[in-house]
Amino acid sequence: MLVKENNYMYEMIRTELTDVLGEQYVGVNDADLFGHSVDYYWIPEMWHDRGMETPKPDFICHPSTTAEVAKILRIANQYKIPVVPWGGGSGSQGGALPVYGGIVIDMKRMNKCYGVDKESLTVRCQTGIIAKHLEWICNKEGYSTMHLPASISCATIGGFLAHRGTGVLSTKYGKIEDMVMSLEVVTPTGEIIRTLPVPRHASGPDLTMLFLGSEGTLGVITEVTLKIHPQPEAREFRAYIFKDFHTAMSAGAELMRSRLQPCAIRLYDETETKTHVRKVFGMELEQGAYLVFGFDGRRDIVDCQMRYAREIMEEKYHGQDLGSKGGDLWWENKYKFFYPPYMFHIPQAFGTLDTVATFANIEKVYYAMKKVVNDGFPQARFIGHFSHWYEWGCMLYARFIFEEEAVPKDPREAAALYNSVWDAAIRAAIANGGVINEHHGVGLKLGRYMKDLYGTAMPVLEGIKKQLDPNNIMNPGKMGFKGI
Amino acid sequence: MNIDNYLETIKFCRFCFMCRHLSAIGNVTFTEADTPRVRASMIYGATIHPELFANEDLIKTMYRSDLSGCCRRNCVNHYDEVGLTLAYRADLVEAGKAPEYIKTIATALMNSPEWSVSGKGKVAYVADNYSVESGAAAAFGKLAKEFRTVSGGSCGKGLWVLGFRKEAKLLAEKFLKALEGVETVVVSHTGIFDFLVNTIGEMGLKLDAKVMHTSEYLAGVKTARPLGDLYYLESDYLRNYNSDYPYPRALLTSNGANLKPFGTNDEESYSCAEGALLLDKIEPELVEKLAKYIEARADNPAKDVIVTASPYTRIQLGRFTSLKVKTIEELLAEAL
Repeated sequence: MLVKENNYMYEMIRTELTDVLGEQYVGVNDADLFGHSVDYYWIPEMWHDRGMETPKPDFICHPSTTAEVAKILRIANQYKIPVVPWGGGSGSQGGALPVYGGIVIDMKRMNKCYGVDKESLTVRCQTGIIAKHLEWICNKEGYSTMHLPASISCATIGGFLAHRGTGVLSTKYGKIEDMVMSLEVVTPTGEIIRTLPVPRHASGPDLTMLFLGSEGTLGVITEVTLKIHPQPEAREFRAYIFKDFHTAMSAGAELMRSRLQPCAIRLYDETETKTHVRKVFGMELEQGAYLVFGFDGRRDIVDCQMRYAREIMEEKYHGQDLGSKGGDLWWENKYKFFYPPYMFHIPQAFGTLDTVATFANIEKVYYAMKKVVNDGFPQARFIGHFSHWYEWGCMLYARFIFEEEAVPKDPREAAALYNSVWDAAIRAAIANGGVINEHHGVGLKLGRYMKDLYGTAMPVLEGIKKQLDPNNIMNPGKMGFKGI
Repeated sequence: MNIDNYLETIKFCRFCFMCRHLSAIGNVTFTEADTPRVRASMIYGATIHPELFANEDLIKTMYRSDLSGCCRRNCVNHYDEVGLTLAYRADLVEAGKAPEYIKTIATALMNSPEWSVSGKGKVAYVADNYSVESGAAAAFGKLAKEFRTVSGGSCGKGLWVLGFRKEAKLLAEKFLKALEGVETVVVSHTGIFDFLVNTIGEMGLKLDAKVMHTSEYLAGVKTARPLGDLYYLESDYLRNYNSDYPYPRALLTSNGANLKPFGTNDEESYSCAEGALLLDKIEPELVEKLAKYIEARADNPAKDVIVTASPYTRIQLGRFTSLKVKTIEELLAEAL
């Protein structure tokens, strides 16, 4: 059922929620409801920009304990009310938008950290803690989560778990799913479960991985134990310019195949090298593609790895060495891209088409996406960089940008144009061995491609969803699952 | 409208999340509305739907902002969401839409007693109510000589922060008159310091005297013993509004203080919303939450010696926590 404010059932349900949380933790005022109606997804931002009404929840619940989350879900099941978990609200895929109204569970009050285990190098916390706050706690003890995405200041740990987020040091330390030891989850029907205490075992299938990336559709992740790391003695970067994108990609792939352990690699395509890097870093670069990488850890091991990496870059691929300063500039400015006015913003229309593929496929994916955007939408710019690298491939962070004059004023026409870019680009990615997303998640934006991506495996996902959430209360209409 | 001076701030802050971890109020209410992004976004909404401008919930949100200035200080381009919030309040007041609970506080400020001046000298010490209540004023009396005391009135900063700008200017003129003939004005209250350094200029007024926070004026004080291990709580006004005003730390370290980092970082506000100046009058329960948030971040709440340059912060932490907090003036006076 969808509750309406003028229905007496609204007050009945509000009373039950208030009984669980107390009045001050059941938000119904206009400011709070608005605050939970727009995330970082371009469509709701544009909708609000054009003066349109954004979909709001009926109630915003701020639980402080797992037991309270369980009680909220039981109430929601009783009345079949949609529930959307909300972390920092900084997702770019519309995953936390309450498109059917109902209850938003804002997790930020669940921000306790239970301390650092210095013997096992882990930290246990509630998932509503803002990632930066957790990182500060670890830093004070001499450690780091090494999960350092640009959204560290605004996103919660639970948000990263929900959509499989990634930080800038992922190449060495992994994505968030590589950092998790175990989870506590409240299932849609209100049962509290814990996954196994360690991530490596032969004790059956891995429930931890089932919930990572489930985007609030399979339950609410309430606690996590994460791996942490000592702060490294040294962290050093070095940057190169290669004659073209292909050569730079080959050099980066070779660095990964060498099984050296860079903490980060980032490669900008020629378009982004010329514009974005120059603008932000104030560096006058020659033609070509910019690649930066780094190592961290013990000083002598960093030096040794850097020596071998330089051989690859300089002797085999003839990169122009910008030195450590060129690399350090990237590290120092790694978040600057995301502050205004550097970040794209409305009235521009823009999107991040991140995908991931093997080294054998990644250039095909890049050129296929670029072609469909350039051919189908000549009024748009297409830029890309490659920012998370694995032993077998890397992630493409492609973006399209329409300047203001190319974006229809009518919000429906603007949304239609926007969606058609995604249709073309994502299908090109899938057709060439890519996936629909690498680290921003699926949400509302990409749900319609899930069947294309998963094919005959999609009913397996749908079966799991139905088993865990028989009343379909958890984040309906997201991740390709059915709506209400 | 006053908010028209902040269109760029609205444009950029409403799309930006990069400072949400620094929202002191947001970190205790846990609501999205209590963040610079959503405040800017709501004001944007009110520019295209004017009926929202005086929405009761928007007003309440705008009047409980901590105004710490941490967002502006840590922003790469220092967009002034604090200025936007103050401009909105001023527009609201000018439109006659200020809520009753704010009008009540404003009326009390407007009816403040006149300033009185006692003592002699070219140096004036402003003994405002917060400085007196915190003990900072009495301690200053033990540390300094040859000053006149200016006390009893309201300088206009409070009304300015609430959005009553015309009325604030009237009070400011009276305050400046009470300071006539003075060469140096010394204040403990960080909000009054900011008022004299920055706000009166925005009002089109001028003070022909040097303005110092007590920590600058007392730079020559030498304590009888080293101050030892201390935690210094940064002031919003001194750090975030006045370019990392260096004198409090300098005074403490010159007297043998070993300043230990408080909490987990040097970006957040640990001031109980000092920048909001009057939150203890507007929503005291929020100040209590802010105080508890700070208390929870102390290394050893029972033992740590914590010092602040802000009488306001000293009062709130004393009221709501068990922390051992002193103003700089108190600490120095005890160590003479």
